[in-house]
Amino acid sequence: MRFHILVIALFCCGSAESRKVRGISSSYKRFYREKKSFLCIDGSKLIPFEQVNDDYCDCADGSDEPGTSACPRGRFYCTNLGFRPHYIPSSRVNDGICDCCDASDEYNSHVRCQNTCWNLGQRERAFVEGQMRTLDEGLRLKQQLIEEGVLLWREKQAQLRELQQVAEDLQIKLEEHRRKKHEADRFKEQTLRALKGEDSGKSFLLFISHTIAPDEVKAEVVPVHGEERRLSDDEAGVRCFSVFFLFQVLVLCYVPGVSNSFWFRAVSNTLFFSFSLSDLQKKLDIDYGTDWEFLFLNGQCYKLTVYEYLYTLCPFSHITQKSTAGTEVSLGVWGMWAEPAKNRYNQMIYENGEPCWQGGSRSTTVTLTCGTETALRSVKEPSKCQYIMDFQTPVACQPVLKQRGVHSEL
Amino acid sequence: MAPVLVLWLAVCLGATWAVDRGNFKTCDQSAFCKRQRALKPGESPYRALLETMELTNTRLTLQLINDNNKVRLLLELYRLQGNITRVKINELKPLKPRYEVPDVLIRDPPTEPLSVLSQDENGVVLSLGAESQRVIVSVRPFRLDIMEGHDVLMSLNSRGLLAFEHLRMRKDTQADPEAENKEEADAANQAETTKEEEEKAEEGMWEETFKSHSDSKPNGPSSISLDFSLPGVEHVYGIPEHADDLKLKTTDNGDPYRLYNLDVFQYELYNPMALYGAVPVMLAHNAQRTTGIFWLNAAETWVDISSNTAGKTVFGKMLDYVQGSSEIPQTDVRWISESGIIDVFIMLGPTAKHVFSQYASLTGTQSFPPLASLGYHQCRWNYNDQEDVRSVDAGFDEYDIPYDFIWLDIEHTDGKRYFTWDPHKFATPKEMLQGLVEKRRKMVAIVDPHIKVDSNYKIHNEIRSRGFYIKNKDGGDYEGWCWPGNAGYPDFTRADMRAWWASMFAYDQYEGSMENLYTWNDMNEPSVFNGPEVTMHKDAVHGAWEHRDVHNLYGLYVQMATADGLVQRSGGVERPFVLTRAFFAGSQRYGAVWTGDNAAEWDHLKISIPMCLSLGLVGISFCGADVGGFFKSPSPELLVRWYQTGAYQPFFRAHAHLDTPRREPWLFGPENTALIREAVRQRYTFLPYWYQQFYHAYRTGEPVMRPLWVEYPQDPATFAVDDEFLIGQNLLVHPVTEEGSRGVTAYLPGKEEVWFDIHTFQKHNGAQNLYIPVTMSSIPVFQRGGSIIPRKMRVRRSSSCMEHDPYTLFVALNARGLAEGELYIDDGHTFNYEKKEFIYRRLSFSNHVLSSVNLVPDSHFTTNSWIERIVIIGSSKPAKVTLKTADGNESQLEFDFDASMSVVTVRKPGMNAGADWTVTLQ
Repeated sequence: MRFHILVIALFCCGSAESRKVRGISSSYKRFYREKKSFLCIDGSKLIPFEQVNDDYCDCADGSDEPGTSACPRGRFYCTNLGFRPHYIPSSRVNDGICDCCDASDEYNSHVRCQNTCWNLGQRERAFVEGQMRTLDEGLRLKQQLIEEGVLLWREKQAQLRELQQVAEDLQIKLEEHRRKKHEADRFKEQTLRALKGEDSGKSFLLFISHTIAPDEVKAEVVPVHGEERRLSDDEAGVRCFSVFFLFQVLVLCYVPGVSNSFWFRAVSNTLFFSFSLSDLQKKLDIDYGTDWEFLFLNGQCYKLTVYEYLYTLCPFSHITQKSTAGTEVSLGVWGMWAEPAKNRYNQMIYENGEPCWQGGSRSTTVTLTCGTETALRSVKEPSKCQYIMDFQTPVACQPVLKQRGVHSEL
Repeated sequence: MAPVLVLWLAVCLGATWAVDRGNFKTCDQSAFCKRQRALKPGESPYRALLETMELTNTRLTLQLINDNNKVRLLLELYRLQGNITRVKINELKPLKPRYEVPDVLIRDPPTEPLSVLSQDENGVVLSLGAESQRVIVSVRPFRLDIMEGHDVLMSLNSRGLLAFEHLRMRKDTQADPEAENKEEADAANQAETTKEEEEKAEEGMWEETFKSHSDSKPNGPSSISLDFSLPGVEHVYGIPEHADDLKLKTTDNGDPYRLYNLDVFQYELYNPMALYGAVPVMLAHNAQRTTGIFWLNAAETWVDISSNTAGKTVFGKMLDYVQGSSEIPQTDVRWISESGIIDVFIMLGPTAKHVFSQYASLTGTQSFPPLASLGYHQCRWNYNDQEDVRSVDAGFDEYDIPYDFIWLDIEHTDGKRYFTWDPHKFATPKEMLQGLVEKRRKMVAIVDPHIKVDSNYKIHNEIRSRGFYIKNKDGGDYEGWCWPGNAGYPDFTRADMRAWWASMFAYDQYEGSMENLYTWNDMNEPSVFNGPEVTMHKDAVHGAWEHRDVHNLYGLYVQMATADGLVQRSGGVERPFVLTRAFFAGSQRYGAVWTGDNAAEWDHLKISIPMCLSLGLVGISFCGADVGGFFKSPSPELLVRWYQTGAYQPFFRAHAHLDTPRREPWLFGPENTALIREAVRQRYTFLPYWYQQFYHAYRTGEPVMRPLWVEYPQDPATFAVDDEFLIGQNLLVHPVTEEGSRGVTAYLPGKEEVWFDIHTFQKHNGAQNLYIPVTMSSIPVFQRGGSIIPRKMRVRRSSSCMEHDPYTLFVALNARGLAEGELYIDDGHTFNYEKKEFIYRRLSFSNHVLSSVNLVPDSHFTTNSWIERIVIIGSSKPAKVTLKTADGNESQLEFDFDASMSVVTVRKPGMNAGADWTVTLQ
């Protein structure tokens, strides 16, 4: 307490020479030294010093009225001893609303403002300390996650290489099959020519036509004259073809005279393989931050219930909203980082969710904030079909934050 | 598949943007309109029976007979105080009473004696008192002509379109023996055989269907019609609400203008379709005179307008003028209503201002709103929760944009149960309202008249148990679909129902309400999603009357009861603020009106001007359009232009549909934020002037936002102008309403006037078209030379924060170096002004002396506000400026002189705004 009084006394004495100049910071005091006249800070006008803070605006820049509401472009300096000083627009001086925590803005109004700076300062210091702790802990966790991320990255890379190896092997096989097929075709042609007109029964040849989408791969089963026992040297009677399309390998197998389901299964298995390859490639193409620190989020999902809705955020994948009635709606699939060029990883954009009644589709902007846990903290829909989420995670902690602190006149 | 379907629907809905016209009737689809319109001008079958004439001190009565069917009508003629003639026509002996509109007239209009000037077998001439005005009643065919000197001002039934469908028994029902007996009895009467021929049942007389809805019409045909001829008139105005030009068009080649309160989804512009409100008042104007017709009928009404000059080109008119051979221009008007009686007030002017005061003497003036409601309103369907409200409120402070009211639409309620709050999103409404109190701001929450049918809902239970719901034709409670799903509609035509409704606004009844919570009545046409034309079935029952009779009155009653509630909750101390969508003649007494669900399109911005001008002409001054447009999303340019326009219209509220992206003023980049901030700030600097204009409107009935012709009635160039307007007499506004505009051409009226740009003080002469180059920041506004406008230049967070701020007086001199103005100050929110607790002063400048004189010496109010600055525009440079106060003290004042614009700025004269003083320029 004693300390406090001392501080105030010091402050008062220090500003003695510009006692009447209300609403300025100490760094501006030099403009307001008591003299005969006052030069507007922008240099536009010279006025008698009595006209400083006389509740009439003379200077275009508002500099003659730092302590009143007279100038439209003026600003008032709240000293806020014990808390952060700051400027408020002049229009908030004596407007009946307490803006400065030291109550200095309402020196001539009907409201009685309390000086709350000390409390605010304490609260802010506690808050900042809390934040610091969170940040420290967050950064520690982040380091861990980065390390894990690097491991995971390597692992996935290895997987990728493995898969690529398999693909290469298949490629080789394919070449072999292609060669064989070529031979077989030649053989078939010869046979067909020889068997012209004769029907030797229940054998099939598969013609594969394909398009980009896997479920649209169409197979046709066409009865063919002739015998393909010699088509392949496979003793079990299983016949396989390899087809190459869109950098993917399809191995198509069938058993002559047996149900068609078998070769379909064979096809889908092969497709699955090629998908896991492209899927992995796609996943690894995503920007997981400079240190792959966001990689661990891939494959995770985070849930939050707000009013009657359950929201699920699966980072780098998709977001859904499920109502208590049970209907699930997509709020968007992974799109991009909001500011990828600036390497700022603080906002994710998910787009192309369920279409909206008035056109367009649902989309979500996820803002990442620093915290010790990874969790979905809030969901809002400020405009119809445009969602914003607050997602807390240690990996969003940035060391620069540490330099922030409480500034005060103390 | 589902998403595909949704997408497909979205595409289709997107493509068919405009109103679905098929949902609303044309005249042809409205049986009575079709029947009436089939009747063409010709000789009227009506004859006056002079032998039945009775003249008392207050009125003349006379029977009319229809020679075709022998049905007799009773004509009543009144001469009312203030140069108004009232003509009432009802059946002499109706089968049952016909509806006469209650609660619209503020009292029984005081009458003045009529006297017979002359009479013979062809008619009678009555004196209307002063100015040699007479009414001539002609016997065969019956017609009325109102004359002044040798000029006919107006004729009634001159085209023979008086048609009165008398109530009758239904004849095609075998089940009704009484009707048959009557028929036989009638048949026996030889004198009335013609009647039988006349009464062949036409389709739609006893029941009518529209789309899937049928109207049972138990009373049969009951429509009425009358024509009015206006010799010498080429310009008629009024009969809102229509999304059309200020000057009404002729309707010969299309439908008549329709007055039937309807919730029109995505309304179309420039057509005569009915909208949300109806005021059956038309003004007729020419360079010599303005008159008005007030057709007091609340049923569905159609108005036909034709003109003998409408088809003529400008060249044709000129040719007529040169050859001098032309007939006199004339406008003919015909009113058709579905039920009720003919009760028409003919307001004889002779000036527009006389007509305003005549109409105000009948239906009252604009209520004097709380000052804060003239500030800026921020609305959206919907602010989602308390946190959303808090952050939008904080946004206005962060971006330093003033506002006074934030609004909550239907989503704030607990399941569209009005008077309740969503328990999660608005769990602590008082906390939220207290947060606004601390910022000296206010809130409006919606209360619609449809009540969710839900036995767990207090309001519903009370209304049901008291029997306050409107009934269906079978006697049960009428139910329809609206926002809450199945809903009942309280019978606001009942005084006891209105009293109960008003009591629901008491602080202990309306939980979560506080002094700074005000009310918005939407959907009060009433809107019934599954009803015919999205409104109530006409055969629904309000006590003794059908909904058909009272339809256009319903919205007025809702707002009346709500405003009463807000007055009562404060013990009669505080002024209410209630916004309504539906309205009728007299609605001006209860609050503000907006133009409904418009769209974010440039044409909708343009139409906001004539729509509000038309409302102002018929007494409703407190009018505005949704800034930004309700449906669709405005471009930043459109949004900025809309703010700039709205800042100079009486009710200034931004609003947006639920499905549109957010559009708070700071969401479009710093440049647009700055432009919007500037527009809103301009509004706040003019608040003293707006407030004064509303006080004037409350006193006189004159519109706040008014067409140019009202002030310049002899200048035909002003007659059709509706892309600019005046606020009071002294501000001329020509908003920029074109996309990509680089300039506008404003008409500056008045041969003797000078006009000063309010931003640059540049002087322009009157009676010229002025091209004004514009940038995005331009809002072309001019102050009339000869006027003094008080402003408050210290714009703060809300109007309340500016209460004690000093005034700057803008004195714009006319060519003779004179200027006049007023200064009105009161507490801004109570009814104490009725007890003369105000400051009302005349400011005048002449002979280089500006003085302030008390206009109401027995008024009493004190203010802290003082005069901070006097800006004299168009003045030469004085040698010195002296202030003389009431106590005789003289002091010299500092001043600046801007030679380029001839502007003297007097520095800090400092006297109290309520004091007597003079400032002399020497």
